[in-house]
Amino acid sequence: MFLSAKIGKGYVVTCAMISAMLIVVILCFLAANSWQAFSQVGLGLFGWTWNPPKGQFGMLPMIYGSLAVTVIALGIAFPLGIATAVFTSEMLSATVRVYAKSFLELLAGIPSIVYGLMGVAFLSVFVQDVFVLLSGRTILTGGILLSIMILPTVITLCDDAMHHIPMSYREAARGLGLYKYEVVKDVVLPAAKMDILGALLLALGRVLGETMAVMLVIGSLDKIPTPFWNVLAPGQTITSKLGREMAEAAFGSLHFEAMIAMALILLFFVLTLTVVSLTYFYNPEGRLYE
Amino acid sequence: MNRRLWNMFFVLGVWLAVAMCGVGLVSLIGVIAWYGVGAINLDFLLTGSQNFGADGGIFYQILGSVLLIVGAGVICFPLALGTAIFKSEYLANAKMQRLCAVLVYGLNGVPSIVFGIFGLVFFVNILDTGISWFVGSVILAMMILPTVVLASFQAMNSIPVIFRESAYALGLNKWQVIVRVLVPQSIGGTVTGLLLGLARAVGETAPIMFVATAFSGVSTPGSLLEPVTALPTHILALAQQATDVHALQNGWGASFVLICLVMMLGALGLMSRLQLKGAR
Repeated sequence: MFLSAKIGKGYVVTCAMISAMLIVVILCFLAANSWQAFSQVGLGLFGWTWNPPKGQFGMLPMIYGSLAVTVIALGIAFPLGIATAVFTSEMLSATVRVYAKSFLELLAGIPSIVYGLMGVAFLSVFVQDVFVLLSGRTILTGGILLSIMILPTVITLCDDAMHHIPMSYREAARGLGLYKYEVVKDVVLPAAKMDILGALLLALGRVLGETMAVMLVIGSLDKIPTPFWNVLAPGQTITSKLGREMAEAAFGSLHFEAMIAMALILLFFVLTLTVVSLTYFYNPEGRLYE
Repeated sequence: MNRRLWNMFFVLGVWLAVAMCGVGLVSLIGVIAWYGVGAINLDFLLTGSQNFGADGGIFYQILGSVLLIVGAGVICFPLALGTAIFKSEYLANAKMQRLCAVLVYGLNGVPSIVFGIFGLVFFVNILDTGISWFVGSVILAMMILPTVVLASFQAMNSIPVIFRESAYALGLNKWQVIVRVLVPQSIGGTVTGLLLGLARAVGETAPIMFVATAFSGVSTPGSLLEPVTALPTHILALAQQATDVHALQNGWGASFVLICLVMMLGALGLMSRLQLKGAR
């Protein structure tokens, strides 16, 4: 009888140790396998050109691409998402809201590769025609596709943030004779500010780490366009670079290790975001949104 | 008057945003359904693919995806349950709780491609397992672990204290309380988390494309150590030859089937969640 308790505790402790160590193991293995790149290439990793045969492993074009795509995606998705969330949370009746939310959950579940297929089949052609380009696979296309992809998540999170604010706040504001606009601007949004910021961080992490959709539409050119705000040129993000080139590099070569170094930098970015959002926006009852 | 004007602009702006989102998102679903249903017939679902996916069906891709997530579920379930029990019942220290939360949430934030690269380095290159069904399942299980642990932990943590007190009063020891009272009461939460996690795992491409799948020429894997072929990587291969009309059409069909799989798992998960709420 006591033996079973001991075995049980052993099992539970082992499981917990494995789960907790996974992230540490991932970090350690990535670090160990990129060590050569950091020691041999050093600051050259943050150079302007990526050309493995010549031993140039500058990842600035990829970092630029990731940032540009993120800025475009969040710049489109957040204004639209917050405005739509104002609608679902403040203007819709409770019954319709449930349907709208279910529809959004359904959309949030569509795999990213399907968005990639849509991007290849429609969005890149659309961008090509509208801006009269040689190829529709540009940084802008990637950004727009990502914004469509995170829109359902952004709306859901912002809607939750606003809906959690007690009704009495709004009633008091309406009682003072404020218009709907003023209720939202002066009462609801300030009260929901922290949760909306949390949503922003979550969406940021998701956009930075997204691979498949971006990889198919961004054009895969390791160059910062000139001038640098010309987002109608093809580019490359960290994730699309990894997805395209990882299988081509031989294990143990400097090329391979430089790729791992790039993955490590991406992971470092995203983990920092996670720790920040845990520190400032920790919600023990919260759900995990991917 | 000025205030009223602003209010009108505001309402107009909101409606404009809603119209843009609504049209965009509804047409998204519409396009997938339209092209997807058009590409599907019984033949497509039940035959293997030919000519790098441009001809033939997707039977082995569906089978491979199902095999991958079954493997992931089998690996993830005991691990997540054990971790949740430890987190809920053995970990009393608030600091350790917090550390545990950081580690688990941190794992949830890891981009999917990084899981794929970790699998490539650790399993395929260092342990030399080769590209296989088993490695793909392990990587997917790692990816969904946080979701399952959290759902399981929340279910277990919300069991009223009186259940535990009654069980202890009957003379059960800690492990017996866990096995006889807490696990049966919270297993629904674990299953819900697992189904929702698998709904996400089945659609992921980046974690499995280096470690588990071969693009063509694979039918049924003979053992755990052989490569499989899966729907998401198949769609990727088809999207890269999107100029070919047949390949694109097969891509839509495969996408539609994949979304149906995701929705089925998601609906099962939601049903078990509602059942859980009803039981309480």
